[in-house]
Parts: sequence; structure tokens; C-alpha cells
Amino acid sequence: HGSNSLQPLETTISDMERFKDSSNLELHCPNCSQQFVFGGVIASNFYQMCYNGLQCKKCEHIFTPIQLSCQLESIIRAHISLYYAGWLVCDDMTCGNVTRQISVFGKRCLNEGCTGVMRYRYSDKQLYNQLLYFESLFDCAKNKKQELKAVYYEGDKDYPKEKLSESSVMVLTEQNRELFEINRAVIEKYLSNCGRRYVDMGGIFDFMTN
Amino acid sequence: DPSKYKFRIMRQNLVESSEVLNEQIEIFTKLVQAHLKLTDSDFGDPTIQSQNVIYAVGRIVPDSPSAEGFLNEQSLSLETSRLNGIGRRIRLKLDNISDTSLFVGQIVALKGSNANGEAFLVEDILDMPYPDAPVSTEEDINLYKNSLKGESAKIVVTAGPYFPDNSLDISYLSDFVERVNNESKPHIVIMYGPFIDVTNSMIMEGRIPTFPHLKVQPRTLDELFTRLVLPILKNINPKIQVILIPSTRDVSSNHSSYPQDSFDRKGLQLPKNFKCFTNPSTFQLNETFFGCSNADIFKDMKEILKGGDISMRNRFDRIAEHMLQQRRFYPVFPGSLRSITVPAKNENSKKIHKHISGVDLEVSYLGLTEFVGNFAPDVIMVPSDMSPFARVVKNVVFINPGKFVKARGARGTHAQISICCPNLEDRKLTKLENDEVLYLHNVWKRSRVDIVGN
Repeated sequence: HGSNSLQPLETTISDMERFKDSSNLELHCPNCSQQFVFGGVIASNFYQMCYNGLQCKKCEHIFTPIQLSCQLESIIRAHISLYYAGWLVCDDMTCGNVTRQISVFGKRCLNEGCTGVMRYRYSDKQLYNQLLYFESLFDCAKNKKQELKAVYYEGDKDYPKEKLSESSVMVLTEQNRELFEINRAVIEKYLSNCGRRYVDMGGIFDFMTN
Repeated sequence: DPSKYKFRIMRQNLVESSEVLNEQIEIFTKLVQAHLKLTDSDFGDPTIQSQNVIYAVGRIVPDSPSAEGFLNEQSLSLETSRLNGIGRRIRLKLDNISDTSLFVGQIVALKGSNANGEAFLVEDILDMPYPDAPVSTEEDINLYKNSLKGESAKIVVTAGPYFPDNSLDISYLSDFVERVNNESKPHIVIMYGPFIDVTNSMIMEGRIPTFPHLKVQPRTLDELFTRLVLPILKNINPKIQVILIPSTRDVSSNHSSYPQDSFDRKGLQLPKNFKCFTNPSTFQLNETFFGCSNADIFKDMKEILKGGDISMRNRFDRIAEHMLQQRRFYPVFPGSLRSITVPAKNENSKKIHKHISGVDLEVSYLGLTEFVGNFAPDVIMVPSDMSPFARVVKNVVFINPGKFVKARGARGTHAQISICCPNLEDRKLTKLENDEVLYLHNVWKRSRVDIVGN
């Protein structure tokens, strides 16, 4: 726990705050190769959720379920692999050492004379939050309540031209429930083997067994 | 012990990682000391100035933590253990060394001196002792002989990917299964992943076609395995034992770091003649010990070579010797990365490197990648992107079966191994007489490996 112990209970943090450093889910259209950011059932200039799935606005191709879920899974795996690349950073702002070398004293900075502390640049908390962010995109309740992290802000070049009414969001989410559940199961496959999800629980309930 | 691989991933701890890296140096210090019959006082701290010639054991590292790209003999340092040099690193001067091959992550034993405090002048790089070969008792040998009925053991080895990068054509795999059942008829088939590779470009870009021959279309990659690959694997004659070893790029495993837990046989609905092993794993078939690892050391090891004699030698032989001396299947540290260059989103920044994959080392569990029991397997099989080969190095048979299918769809290769039945009468086994009579397996003298086109 250490440095985490003074932070608010994570369930009380809003998704906006929790996922502020999470990367977007970037998809390719399998038909026209357009790349776009998927942000759930939201207005976008690039895609729309229609009653039978995810549709590319450029070529009107409707993704088959696997054309979406396979990209989600390969992106999750790229994140896990980047995490295992094991990049470290030094916390001393004047040093800025970024390396994959690990000293036999793990936290020691390898730059001569530097007293900074090394840490993983892609932390396990960040990776866990990244998976939770992807999960939120396919969470029907969050989609309906429109609680998802925004992917476009007013003034952005790609800020959607049209809006999506609240009732459309409700209907489209419900119509795509099965598709969303498929993708949630893909994310759950990795969350179920994620050490961070379990270790903290052990820590919390330690006092009961001791 | 396969249960040790059942750890949850995505929870790296820097202190634990560094303890393992420290331990590697300390284990080799003891090994070298026993092997060369040195005393504690022969060892010194190479990072501090002294006129004395000392022995030092440490890890080869770049002389700068930000070093990138290729290193050379002038840009290397030695990292000491916590105990021997409080983990300090010292630049190496290799002017007096005429022939050597070094790599980052290698544990070396050096003889030399640090005269000015700036660098350690190496006089000699000591050979790390090779691990012992496994042995069997007379009783066991006779048991294996009887179970084989005098026949040779036949093993077929394949390594993924099993699809090209531009199609999901499974016909090569079904042709192969046909041949295994009707022509080669081996006792054992060892298949390495990836079966469905997360870095396949069709998967990364979502270009999965519909499958007209399937009634129910797969909705996920896991279903792609069960609907497309599994039916073909199930066609393998149930009398043939099949061993599956995963890759960290396998969709069908949610444990994507190395060392890697085995596939879940029941979860993947694999039949009873299938066995799922960890990556890496060591196992025994009759008398023969097989060491199997699915991390491409033959591609990833970038040696720093000095001298003409060593450069003239076969690169795979040098890497095989390094693996044996280091006593682990993937001795390079940090492990490899694979990225692609993509155009930047805004015009004024340069191209960006996008991370795709890597060897994905779980550093705190690297102990599981060491040779089991400290002996060298009789046969070591590490699939590689490099050209397929079978070579005998220090009496160990090293095999790279090659990829099953090449990226653009050309047919790849697999390996066929045949090992003569062990026989105490034919004098091919070496008798060792200590307290107990034991025999070296000499698999390298009794086996034949063919690299076969698919």
C-alpha cells in the first residue's frame, strides 16, 4: 500500500478522474481502414452504434462482433506487453533517467550521484485502470447514464457535429447489450488474472485472519 | 513444478525483480568459486581502486542506463552484487582480451584489476562451467527399452504461427494432421504457440472474414480457436500424445508473460491425448530430457564480439553455449521489444514508435526459467524466427523447428526427431561408476533430426 494509503477509496473516484491517464480505444474499420476512437454509445463523426452493431460512418460497414472484439483483445495485449517492457523512470525531475536497466537495488537510480527513486513508468495501477476504462466503454449502465469519460471536447477538430439524444443512447445501448457483454467478457478474461485486483483485497482483510 | 507458474500477472514489484537479478550474480559467484576452487579472499570488489589482481563475478550491462541500439566492447560495464560491490557498476576495459562474445544480461566471471578507480582492466574472462548431463540407472534404461520394444522414439515438433499474416487459411494445419496420422505416425507431437497470434495484422486491424463453412460465426478470438483450430487438432489420432506449449502472443492464454502458465486443457476443450505444458518446461520422455522454451533467444541475443576466431564460428552455436553456461533459457536482460513506426497524429511531431510485443519477462519469476535441477536437458527446443536448424552443441541437441507458416503464406517447416531405443548392449550409453552405476543418455549420438517442409 504505502503511497496509496492516503488516497481516497477508489470506488469514490469518478471515472473521469480515475481514467484521466487511460489511453483511448482506437479501432480500425476492417473495410475502409479508417481509424477512429471508440468511446461507447456517444456521438462521433466516425462511427455510430446502430441497432445491429458498430457502424463505420465513412463506408457504412457494420462490424461483425469478432471484428470489434479481436481489436479490443489485441489492444489489451499490447498494453500488457508494454507494461512488461518494464520501462523505469527516476522521480528526480533534474535527472529524468528513463531506462529498462534495473539495478540490483531496484529503486536506486543508475545515474551517477542521483538520489532519485526509480519506479515503473507504466504502473500496475495504471494498467488495471486501463482495463477498467475499456470495461466502462462496454458497460450498459454507464453508457445509459452517460457517465463515460469524454473522448471529444468542444473545440476539438473532431468534435461531433451532431448530438445523440438521451433516448437514442438508451435504446441503442439496450439493442447492443449482447455485443457489449461479449466485449466485457474479453476484458474480464484479463482482469481475472490481474494481480492487482486480488492483492489489495488480501491487504484489506488481513486483520480478520490475523 | 507447474503449480509455481500459476501466479497472477500484471503485478510487478521492482524490489522483488531486483532481488532476483542480485541472486543470479550470487548463485554464479558460488558456482565459479567451487568450480575454480577459489577462496573468498580471491574475490574482490572490482568497482574500487586497488593494485591487486582479483576475481569478480557480475552482470554485463551497458555503461550508460540510457544506452540504446548496438553496443560495442568500449561501452560495457560490469554490475556487482549487493554483497560484493554494493550493486555498483564499473566500466570494463577489454583491450587485453583477444577473443570473446558478451551480451547484456550475461553473468560473467572476470580476472583483472582496477588500477585507477575508473575502469576494470580485464585480463581473463573465465569459462563458466557447463551443467552436467542427466543420467539414468540400469533398471530405468531397461524399462524404457521394454516400453519402446526396441523401436526408435519418434517425435514431431511444430511452432506457430499456424496462419499466415494475410489469411486465416487453416489448410496447412489440416494437411499436416493428415500426414501425422497417415505417414509420419510419431509417438509424440510437440506443438508450440502461437496458435492464434494477437499480433497477426488481420487481428490487430479487425480484418477477420466470415467463415462460410461455419454455421455459427465466432464472436471472439477464443471462439475462433474453438471453432476453427480445435476441430483440426481433434483429428490427430488419439493414440498420438500431443504436447502444447504456449507463446506469450497466444490469444488462448490469459497469462501473457514469460515464464508462462500452461494452457487450460479443459477450458480449451482439448481431448485427453493432449497435455498442456508451461513455457518454459522440462520433461522426460523415456530416458530423454527435453527442455522447451518459447522465447526467441536465437533472434534476441545481440552479442558483442571481439576477435576473429569467435566471429568465424556459427552464431547459433555461440548462443547455445551461452544458454548452457548461463543455465537458463532466456539469459538476455532486459528482454527484447518489438515496435512499429507509425505516423504521428499532429504534423509537427516526428514518427512515433508503437509498442507491439516483446518477450515480456516477469522478472521476479525468472527463477522458473533456469535449468531444472541444474542439469542440461538432452534436447533443447527453442522455436525462432531465424532459419530452422538442428545442431549438437556440447553434446546437447538444439532444435529450431522453424515457423509452421511464413508471414506471407509460404509453407514453413517442422522438425522430426528419431531417437534410437536405449540399449545397454550397444555401447552407445556411457557408463559412469561412482557409488551407483549410472548411464549418460548420449542422445546426441543416438538421434537424428530432420527439418521437413510442411
